[in-house]
Amino acid sequence: VKKILVLAAALGLAASAAPAADLAIGAPAPDFTLPSARDGAPLSLKELAKGKAVVVMFIATKCPVSNAYNDRMGAIAREYSSKGIQFVGINSNKAESAEEVAAHAQEHRLTFPIAKDPGNKVADLYGATRTPEVFVLSPKGDLLYHGRIDESQDDPKNVRSPDLRNALDAILAGKPVPAPVTKAFGCTIKRV
Amino acid sequence: VRRDARLRTALSAAAFACAALSAAAEPVKLVRPDQYRARVVAPKRGRVLLVNFWATWCDPCREEMPALAAAAKDFPSRDLAVVLVSIDSLKRSPDVAKFLAREKVPFVCWQVKARDAQDFIDAVDKGWSGAVPYTLVYDRKGALAAKLAGPQTRQAFGEAVKKALAGGP
Repeated sequence: VKKILVLAAALGLAASAAPAADLAIGAPAPDFTLPSARDGAPLSLKELAKGKAVVVMFIATKCPVSNAYNDRMGAIAREYSSKGIQFVGINSNKAESAEEVAAHAQEHRLTFPIAKDPGNKVADLYGATRTPEVFVLSPKGDLLYHGRIDESQDDPKNVRSPDLRNALDAILAGKPVPAPVTKAFGCTIKRV
Repeated sequence: VRRDARLRTALSAAAFACAALSAAAEPVKLVRPDQYRARVVAPKRGRVLLVNFWATWCDPCREEMPALAAAAKDFPSRDLAVVLVSIDSLKRSPDVAKFLAREKVPFVCWQVKARDAQDFIDAVDKGWSGAVPYTLVYDRKGALAAKLAGPQTRQAFGEAVKKALAGGP
């Protein structure tokens, strides 16, 4: 029993240092219900997954990279919501309160639901490490796309590879996502 | 303000102790994805190498610099080399140089030049998400010995270096 406890403790430490989860494309993504940063009302993945796809975006209020994408996130969410795709933001940073997240969303006109992830539990389940980081799920909850919004870290006018848009266009057209895993520089999610 | 003052004090002390490693006056050089191994890692073979990926816009990166400088001071330069790689976009090069000079950072610093950041991230480490701060530890043979994700303490840097030193000749 002692050995198991030690092992569990070691795994726990490993998980807090670097999330072990590495969701594969096509694999079912973990379900979650989190409180809305705006009013604390529960936001559940199952409820959100009623459209053609759900875009789960790990975002931050203080990360300059995430903030550089505020306008792009807002524009993509407005455009693709009308096409039947749902959006939810998740803030897992320990130092950013629900009030701060709600105020930040209002200031930057992020109108999609945004959840607060206390104890970064959902970030751990998804293996999310940075902001911004995006997961696109099918209505069944399977992972279709994981990565960046686009490759242009700080200049929205200079986007050559609009990877999230490409993924969503492919999903809407019933085609495979052309580049289902992408990477970009970003801020480390500050975990508890 | 107090934090900045502490940072400066710690870095100045470390800079003095790290005179052998000191390269604060060296200009920041650009490194492309295909040059990373040959230019950043290979020249340090024979010593354990700690490569710290950071950005001027990254608060935890700037905050961990004193810990990195202090950890470097704990090892002789024949055993450990420390190199920085800034992932700032190229238009921020002046900010990178300014920060290094102002804080008297005692390490050589490269800056990423890549058409697409993903090319660089994958060239460095396929397991890296691109989140900074991120630190890689290479053993004396230039093989990857440890990955340190997120901000680290002086002790954590030190432990990783010790393990890498113990693992090789």
